[in-house]
Amino acid sequence: MEMAAAVETQNMEAGVRRYPPGDLALWIFILAELSVFAVFFAAYAFTRAHHVELFNTYQATLDRNSALANTLVLITASYLVARAVGAIQLGNTRTSSRWLWAAVGMAMLFLLIKGHEYAHHFEEGVRLSTNTFYMFYLSLTFFHFMHVILGMIVLIVLAVRTGRGHYDAQEYTDIESGASYWHMVDLVWMVLFPLVYVMQ
Amino acid sequence: MRGPTLVYLLLCALTLFTWGVARFGLHGLGASLLVLGVALVKGQFIGDWFMALRGVSGFWRWAVTVWLLLIAALVGSAFMITNGG
Repeated sequence: MEMAAAVETQNMEAGVRRYPPGDLALWIFILAELSVFAVFFAAYAFTRAHHVELFNTYQATLDRNSALANTLVLITASYLVARAVGAIQLGNTRTSSRWLWAAVGMAMLFLLIKGHEYAHHFEEGVRLSTNTFYMFYLSLTFFHFMHVILGMIVLIVLAVRTGRGHYDAQEYTDIESGASYWHMVDLVWMVLFPLVYVMQ
Repeated sequence: MRGPTLVYLLLCALTLFTWGVARFGLHGLGASLLVLGVALVKGQFIGDWFMALRGVSGFWRWAVTVWLLLIAALVGSAFMITNGG
C-alpha cells in the first residue's frame, strides 16, 4: 500500500494522473459509447464488403463539402472546449464561459449543416428503406447527430453555470467531464467522416 | 495553449487532406487505408491533447488508442477483403 502511494505521489509530481480528467463514471460511459460506435462501423464495413457497387454508387450522392465543413466545425468546437478547460484551470471564469458559448455556437452550426443535408436527402425521397447504404448512412449519422445534441445541451449547462461562477480553479470536474464527452463526439466523427463519405 | 492550437491546425490540415482524396477521385485499397490511417492519427491527437490522456498513466492512457486500433483492424480487414481480392 505504501509502495502504491509512493508511486502515485511520484506520478503526481511528474504531472501524470492515474485517472482521466473529469468523472470516472462518465469515462466508463464514454467507453461504452465508443464500443457501440465500433460495432456500427464494423457492421458498415463488412456489409459494404457484400455490396461494394451499391455502396460506392450511393456514397457518390453524398455532399462531401458539407461533411468537410462539419468536420472542421467539430474540430473547432473541440478546440474551443479545450480552451475553456484551460481557462478555468487558470481561474478565468468569464473567459472559460465565453469559450464554452463559442463551442455551443459551433455545435449549432453542425446541426444546421447536417439538418440541411438531411432535408436535401428527404426531398430526393431517400428513406431508411431506400437501400442498405442509405440505411447505414442515415442510422449512423443520425445516431451521431443525437450525440451532438446531447453534447450541446451539456455545453450550454456548463456555459451557464460557469458564467454564474459555479466553478473555479480548484473545482472544475464538471467542465472536464462535459469536455471529455464532447471530445468523444468529435473523435467518433473523425472515423465516421472518412468511412462513410470518402473510403471506397 | 500553444500545443492545442498546433494540434487544432494539424487536425484541420489532415481533414482537408482526407477531403482532397475524395475530391481528386482517389479510391481503391491504398487510398482507403491511407485515409483510415489519417483518421487514426487524428483520433490519437484528440485523445492525447483534447481529452488530455497524454498526462494519464495505465489503462486510461491507452483507452482511445486501443479503440482506434480496433477500428483499424475491423474496418481495414473488411476493406482488404473487398478491395484486395
